[in-house]
Amino acid sequence: MAENHAPFIVLGAGPGGYACAFRAADLGLDVTLVDPRASLGGVCLNEGCIPSKTLLHAAEVIREAAHMDDWGIGFAKPKIDLDALRAKKDDIVGQLTGGLGGLAKRRKVTVVRGTAKFTDANSLEIDGKSWSFDKAVIAVGSAPVQLPGWPEDDRIWNSTAALELRNVPKRLAIVGGGIIGLEMATVYSTLGSDVTVIEFMDQIAPGADAEAVKILAAALEGQGVTLHTATKVAEVAATKAALSLSCEGIFEGTIKADAIIQAVGRRSNGAKVSPENAGVTMDERGIIAIDDSCRTNVDGIFAIGDVTGNPMLAHRATHQGHVVAEVAAGHASALDTDLIPSVAYTSPELAWAGLTQAQAKDAGTPHKVASFPWAASGRNLASGGGDGLTKIVYEPESHRVLGATLVGRNAGELLAELVLAMEMSATLEDIALTVHAHPTLSETVAFASERALGTLTDL
Amino acid sequence: MSDVIAPPSVKALAREKGIDLEKLAKELGRTSIAREDLDGKSKPAPAGDISYWDVDHSAFGPVSEEPMSRFAQIASANLAAANTLIPQVTHHDRANVTAIEALRKELKSESQVRGVKLTALAFQVKALARALREFPRFNASISADVKTLILKDYVHIGIAVDTAHGLMVPVIRDADKKGLWQIGAEITDLASRAQARKIGPDEMGGASMSISNLGGIGGTAFTPIVNPPEVAILGITKTETVTVWDGDTPRPLPMVPLDLSYDHRVINGAEAARFMTYLAGLIADPRRIMV
Repeated sequence: MAENHAPFIVLGAGPGGYACAFRAADLGLDVTLVDPRASLGGVCLNEGCIPSKTLLHAAEVIREAAHMDDWGIGFAKPKIDLDALRAKKDDIVGQLTGGLGGLAKRRKVTVVRGTAKFTDANSLEIDGKSWSFDKAVIAVGSAPVQLPGWPEDDRIWNSTAALELRNVPKRLAIVGGGIIGLEMATVYSTLGSDVTVIEFMDQIAPGADAEAVKILAAALEGQGVTLHTATKVAEVAATKAALSLSCEGIFEGTIKADAIIQAVGRRSNGAKVSPENAGVTMDERGIIAIDDSCRTNVDGIFAIGDVTGNPMLAHRATHQGHVVAEVAAGHASALDTDLIPSVAYTSPELAWAGLTQAQAKDAGTPHKVASFPWAASGRNLASGGGDGLTKIVYEPESHRVLGATLVGRNAGELLAELVLAMEMSATLEDIALTVHAHPTLSETVAFASERALGTLTDL
Repeated sequence: MSDVIAPPSVKALAREKGIDLEKLAKELGRTSIAREDLDGKSKPAPAGDISYWDVDHSAFGPVSEEPMSRFAQIASANLAAANTLIPQVTHHDRANVTAIEALRKELKSESQVRGVKLTALAFQVKALARALREFPRFNASISADVKTLILKDYVHIGIAVDTAHGLMVPVIRDADKKGLWQIGAEITDLASRAQARKIGPDEMGGASMSISNLGGIGGTAFTPIVNPPEVAILGITKTETVTVWDGDTPRPLPMVPLDLSYDHRVINGAEAARFMTYLAGLIADPRRIMV
């Protein structure tokens, strides 16, 4: 007989886990939420989305202030107090995670601090204590991938360490030019680091629209970031004076750095809960197979978020969490959409969802492309924005939107309209006939649609 | 992801109700599903799957193409809807026109003086108008929500006219109150103006019933399609002298074939038979139209 029993137990209190636990509690279930961290929120709140956005905001203010020179407004060079900045970031994180704790209490969710491992299909162990359960949700997320063969050195950071803001290295190498790598490049270059990004694929932000990425790459280079694409780091050597990265590919040579951020992706934490003891199917990468309703192959055991594979994004996990809570409460629910938006909170932001032009072409999907350059957006110019682009991939016959990419200020916010358009099967006409406020950046979405329809008068 | 176009809220509701959207869309012949379709009341598209009609005819021999006019396209859609949505039955009968033919012969010289052609159709319009007064359910329409039968206290008869640009149905108003000369004159006037496409919109629509008369062309019977919102239509083909047994005696009599198509939701078979017997009686003995 187990020491404890949980009718509905959620392993992991990240954005997927807590959303699942709270929704389940709202639906009347008796919920237990397990996480080894002292505070709720998982990677996202504690060492991911939120702290990175805090630092990105600080970077944005520094950059914006510097740009005002052009406008006849000069600021003195900013004094950066790293300790105070770190404290501010921790304060915001604390505010949010503390808020989550309150929400859990209000919903009477039992929070257990500890690390869980399955012992069989109906029981698990949390820090030595045995628990039986009726239904369990694996929501233990992911961790940064650690490249093999690298030296042990505390100047080699992963994304978590990078967000700790230990110091501002004079020379910073970032291995991996995906969203996390580019965001870190944005933060540290603004704080004063001489940043070099090394990306294995032939463009930064692999998978994103090439035309939009070109605009982002130019902007990053303008901020002093060196970008090496189609380049592989063959070896890393650590000496007291510096770290050196031997590179192969388009860039051949050695890069000296005072710190390195490894940002080559994330790996599922699935194996950490020993799902095999419960008979849950998991592949060699730790990815747990699920159906549309996030059920694993074992009755009563669900999996959500990063442990279920790509895209490893908080908002996907949150939606999956709700689905599982609803299914567990007896509703028919599923996440059957492919429209998971991606956003890089760089400067400018890069945001996309649905099919990119290249994906449509590769898949042989009939498509056309409509775009609007932000150089023609009044609001963009009036607010000091640089180059940007709103690009819509659409179906030529029906004019339904198949995909969208935006690069520019607030692109992440603007993308929502296009995701909704895709979910509602809206056509370019629907978007063009929707009155967008002037002057706004959101107009660029309507303008791109009008351009495709031949009704645009702003270009 | 499903290929059916439906907003996320509709997809979620379908899932909750256990409805397979792909299957439903296929059943309804649609590519998109709305919230209203999930209540189980939506009917399949009238035409269903007609993709197999889409044939490259030129593969079988030379063809030429002629665009359908807007008029023809609208008529086509209306006819398809009428034929699909109305459960129709056609009742066949015939009427002895000996008396009418005799009367027309007698009135020939007066006809010339008046300059009015007194056709057999004028008599049939008059007889039908009278029959509609006797059988009010034939002079009715079903409300759009199919919950109310609207009975009309007027008798207007539509006349289907074959024109170069398509079928037109001008209407003779208050045919029950008009004399044969006037009806005859109106038929001639409406028919010629229909040919010239000079019929005003107020001269069409609002009929109690319509007549489709092919008597001048030929045929022994056909099944006209009810012209909604009317609930019945009278088809007429060519009068023929046929053998009718009068007891043991065979007699050659001029008989006009009559075909009544009716909306079975409003009219049942017995009523139709009674109506046609009555109408044939009026035609056989036009004096009874007056009594």
